[in-house]
Amino acid sequence: MVGTRDSELVPELVRAWGPRISRDRKHASLCVAMAAGVKTLANLRDNARVAVTFALPANSSAIQVWGRCIGTGRPDRDDLTAVQQHRDTFAQVSKGLGIPPPFIEALWQRELAGSPGMVRIRFVAVQIFNQTPGPGAGSPL
Amino acid sequence: MSEVRALSVPLDSIAPCFEGVIPASLCSCSREGLPNVTFLSIVHRLDENHVGLSFQFFNKTRKNLQENPRAQVIVVMPGTADQYRLDVRHLRTETDGPAFDRMRARLEAVASQTGMNRVFRLRGVDVYEVLDCRSVNQEGRSEIVPRAESMRELEAFTGRLDSCEGLDALLSTALEALADLFGHRHSFVMFPDEDGTRLYTGASYGFDPSGVGSEVVVGEGMLGLSAARRSVVRVTNLALDRVVARAVRSGIERRGEESILETEIALPGLPDARSQLTLPLLSRNRLLGVLCLQSADPGRFLETDERVMQIVARHLAASMASTMAADSAEPKVATLQSDRAAPAASHAVVRHYRSDDSIFIDDAYLTKGIPGRLFWKLLQAFVGTGRAAFTNKEIRLDASMGLPDIKDNLETRLILLRRRLEERCEFMRLIPAGRGRLHLDVRRSLTLEELP
Repeated sequence: MVGTRDSELVPELVRAWGPRISRDRKHASLCVAMAAGVKTLANLRDNARVAVTFALPANSSAIQVWGRCIGTGRPDRDDLTAVQQHRDTFAQVSKGLGIPPPFIEALWQRELAGSPGMVRIRFVAVQIFNQTPGPGAGSPL
Repeated sequence: MSEVRALSVPLDSIAPCFEGVIPASLCSCSREGLPNVTFLSIVHRLDENHVGLSFQFFNKTRKNLQENPRAQVIVVMPGTADQYRLDVRHLRTETDGPAFDRMRARLEAVASQTGMNRVFRLRGVDVYEVLDCRSVNQEGRSEIVPRAESMRELEAFTGRLDSCEGLDALLSTALEALADLFGHRHSFVMFPDEDGTRLYTGASYGFDPSGVGSEVVVGEGMLGLSAARRSVVRVTNLALDRVVARAVRSGIERRGEESILETEIALPGLPDARSQLTLPLLSRNRLLGVLCLQSADPGRFLETDERVMQIVARHLAASMASTMAADSAEPKVATLQSDRAAPAASHAVVRHYRSDDSIFIDDAYLTKGIPGRLFWKLLQAFVGTGRAAFTNKEIRLDASMGLPDIKDNLETRLILLRRRLEERCEFMRLIPAGRGRLHLDVRRSLTLEELP
């Protein structure tokens, strides 16, 4: 999930797909549905502040990255491959929670339905935190 | 609460989003403008313009909300996977009241089941005003969910119960009707023991093996807490609750703080239960038992199901109370004439261990406690005198049975014994023979052995 905020400090959330780390490991990227991410993209143009939470449904392990957006644009083939792999893996690991794979497929399809496509967000990490539920949640990594 | 504001998508129209089936997310923002994203197990819909989130731990979200009350939540509709954005403003934290009690009951039940009593503790309910609710997707399909009236099914259910004679028939009919009429295919009823410290399963439907005789401690786990608190406990995605609990447990263990952890409690019933609805069976504020419905599907029991099942549970409890009272007041029933059982085809050894009144038939465990003591007395009479017919009244009045003052609980013990025999013994049956009468049917010759 990607969190941003506008100039009035009003937060905005959007679901993101296909996270990737650049080869030089200096930045990361992910994709959001363009229609669902309109306000997110406007916020990033305004102030570049971004928070991204990554979680593994199978065991609730999670981290949060606070970062700075360094660019948005059209996803390339590798980005879209990462989106599909994320969707398929997400479907597999969610089965254990009783969430059937078609539900994850529907979640993805519903986001893209009516959207002109996806947009890639690139960002650099400023701080990383443990976000796994429990006593260590919120501690810096 | 402030005045009602018309939302783009009414919260009522997306009610299943607020059941905790699919995790939600929340984004807050600090005074310095740093957004923060966190996952939520459940967002509670308090009314048409307010939602509640549990406050258990002090964290970044809480700090942010004290600085900047604006936040956004994304919830997901089970089934359709549609997502909705809720723009919210934190109003206050409540530490008592109906919403707090409801959320605490659910949280404590899950905490108890997963051995996290000293970890998961509801400090308060953070109440948020919903400023707007919008579909994330371009083609949002929210619609007013038709209310489950279920009047026809309720009428049929009460009709079926009306024609039952005896507690055993009443429970069997009720559980079967829950499957036939409401589609609840896995259900069981647990009874309290004589001192109210344990619950044991006396009737079940849709389980193989039946689970009759399985026990839980009153006050522990979802079933035990439902009995102790006399409140409904409903969970919609137990798999998710367990995953979160285990993640927290691992974190605590890594810090070397295992002393605050307790053992995860095994849940009777379906091994992969993801939804469970537990309802106390109360008559004049007296606990007669608990009714438990289970499903392997997440989100099987929603708020509307809870309301309908509360009516079912109240009617069942009233019917149980009247049946038990009728059995207890069975007037002037003379002991039936002794009769001889059918000729034995072969032989079996029944052992009784006095220490816990456990009964073993050819080395296979049958039951223990009061049902065991009761059965031993019946077998002694059968083998000693050939008697096979008994009455509830004589059992109650027979001081040699050494039974505690169980009165109307006798019938629940007899049900347990009868079902145990049906499940675990091929040649003995305890057959109801009209109100308050029993027939012991034994198809083998028996040797009785009493052990310390």
